[in-house]
Amino acid sequence: MKILRLAVLDLVRRPKKNGLLVFAIVISVALLTSLTIVSNSATSSILEVVSKTGHTLTIRPVITAGIDEADKSALQNLTISEVVFGKYIPESAVPQISRIYNKAIREGWERKGGLVSNPGIPVISIEPPTWAPRLYTKAVVDGHEAIVTGIDVNKEYFVRFWWNLSSGEWPADVDVKNVNTRIDAMYVMGAGGQVTVEKPRYRVDEEGKAVYDEKRRNSAGDSDQVARDFAYAHGAGDENKDVAYLGGAYASARGLKVGDTVTVESRRFRIGGVLEETNSADDYMVFIPLIIAQHMFHREGYISLLSVRAMCPNCPVGDAMVELNRNITGITAVSQLDVAGVQFDFFNMLYRFLLAVVIATIAVGIFSIFNIVAGSLYVRVREIGLLKAVGASRFQLFRIFLYEHLIIGAFAGIGGFVAGVGMAYVLNSLLGIGSVVRIVPSVLWYALALGILSSLFAIYYPAYRLSGIKITDTFRTQWEV
Amino acid sequence: MNAFIQTQALKKTYQLGDQRVEALRGIELTIAQSDFVVFMGHSGSGKTTLISTIGGLTRPTEGSVSIEGTDIWRLNDRELSAFRNRKIGFMFQSFSLLPSLNVLQNVVMPVIFRKNGKREKTDAIRERALSLLAGLEMKKKIDAHPSELSGGEQRRVAIARALINEPDIILADEPTGELDIRTEREVIEIFRAINSQYRKTIIVVSHSLSWLESAKTVIIMKDGLMHLDVPDPVEALMGRACRP
Repeated sequence: MKILRLAVLDLVRRPKKNGLLVFAIVISVALLTSLTIVSNSATSSILEVVSKTGHTLTIRPVITAGIDEADKSALQNLTISEVVFGKYIPESAVPQISRIYNKAIREGWERKGGLVSNPGIPVISIEPPTWAPRLYTKAVVDGHEAIVTGIDVNKEYFVRFWWNLSSGEWPADVDVKNVNTRIDAMYVMGAGGQVTVEKPRYRVDEEGKAVYDEKRRNSAGDSDQVARDFAYAHGAGDENKDVAYLGGAYASARGLKVGDTVTVESRRFRIGGVLEETNSADDYMVFIPLIIAQHMFHREGYISLLSVRAMCPNCPVGDAMVELNRNITGITAVSQLDVAGVQFDFFNMLYRFLLAVVIATIAVGIFSIFNIVAGSLYVRVREIGLLKAVGASRFQLFRIFLYEHLIIGAFAGIGGFVAGVGMAYVLNSLLGIGSVVRIVPSVLWYALALGILSSLFAIYYPAYRLSGIKITDTFRTQWEV
Repeated sequence: MNAFIQTQALKKTYQLGDQRVEALRGIELTIAQSDFVVFMGHSGSGKTTLISTIGGLTRPTEGSVSIEGTDIWRLNDRELSAFRNRKIGFMFQSFSLLPSLNVLQNVVMPVIFRKNGKREKTDAIRERALSLLAGLEMKKKIDAHPSELSGGEQRRVAIARALINEPDIILADEPTGELDIRTEREVIEIFRAINSQYRKTIIVVSHSLSWLESAKTVIIMKDGLMHLDVPDPVEALMGRACRP
């Protein structure tokens, strides 16, 4: 038999008292664990938004009181993120938007010290942005109301590079093979003349020059390209005009799969693909070709939303947003990066407040644990006296308590982690954070450490005092003067 | 007499509130190896304080305790614990056994605190414990817990535990307290056998006169003083004068 076994046997003998102690620590650990998980999850979600849309600007109509009466009934502004019904941007405004945007980006880069599209220095470049228009409508799909969104699949795929199909295929004309939709290439010359490579997106040819897609290269900086893009969207993809794509949640809720058909109003569409869920409004939408949507809903020449993806890392999208809002009335440009930043600041403030509350709770909890431990130890004084009498040194006694509370702490840490995960789901739901609960493995180690430290902290002083108690004091009722 | 245990000017004073209690008042004692000493006296006479001081449990206010030439109160906590573990086997009137351990575990428990305990094989320790329990007719109950044992059986287990580290000295405080006469007799016989067969030095504190027949040396304690060679211990305990 060893000291560890002695400690374990002693633990087993007092299931209620030790269970109470474990429970007290579990509560503390669970509180902190759940808060950490919720915080991590929310932060990850926000960062995910930043990483997805950090270079994206969304432009939508301004919501004002002067809405046409006929549109009023259809208007449910901002019910789902960026989705606005009943207000539109005319396509004719897009070239002006594009010009202001490009100018702001270029000037922003120059102000930052970067050189943009400098002729003669081929490694310094900035790709033209990609514009993806949308038309939102509420329509009857197979007898039920749903959000039907007209999109240009090519553009949409390029702007929303996080889109993936869980089943089905993209239209044949979507260049998914040759275009790496993630920004992974950029040659940048700094103000001092040094050239750095920031996630190069494009291949480099034998001469060290960037290789561009010729079609896109020719259109670099050309605002008219936007208009051509619309023409392309309106006219191209005839073979795909009756193909719809479904958001993951919508398809799942309705049990629809690739190859099935959906009837939007009176027109049938074959389901060409189902998107993976992205924790966004897209999950609940039915996507049909933009030109078809404009025609079906009598909105030719109008769009509800314009997403612009700047094709460079750290593009001064905020500058473009300011310029657009300043120069064009009737639209609102929103930088998702800024939105995420506001969300992040708010959540950070909330997190710090909750953390303070939890730490105060843990401090009170640890004193309760301390009292439980002290109480449970002081009833063991005679046992301690016996152990000392048979030769246990102070250090050996201390080791017994240490082992006992390491075990209690470990159990409490694991229990606290499990309870904390459960609480995280509840908290996430109650606070309406709306992010997916992400459990990082390191949280388990933190929970374990907190459980053990709480337990050891609570035991240290009573154990120190008791291990040094005089043997005769422990037998006070028996050992006479 | 060859001094195995020796005390010199041993004093112990307790402060109980405003009152000073002199539990030991300059005890000069010499005990030879293999002696069988019984301390008798009224409650508060200082007998328990004396053996707890000899056993390294209570630090004296003054004086020294020497065992085999080692002044035990000059040892630090770790050395004294090791000394107790190696040299002295203790037996108490009550709460002698740990309730969380079974009989065999209680007997081997002192071994885990032995400094060289890891060097001895577990099997050898177990064999020795079983042998001791067999000698005390407790082998059939090695898996029982203290709550399942009678008072006499608990004392036997405590005796086995006191012997497990093969100490030279057995200190027992009221080892037959609360036992019926028959069981008391059995326990005394065990102590006598240990003294005669294993040549252990036995020091017992008791109120019971039953020990008088077995002890080689009887010491009467009164008011913190020791009375040796009392011609009639019974008379002395009844309150007649005795010679310091």
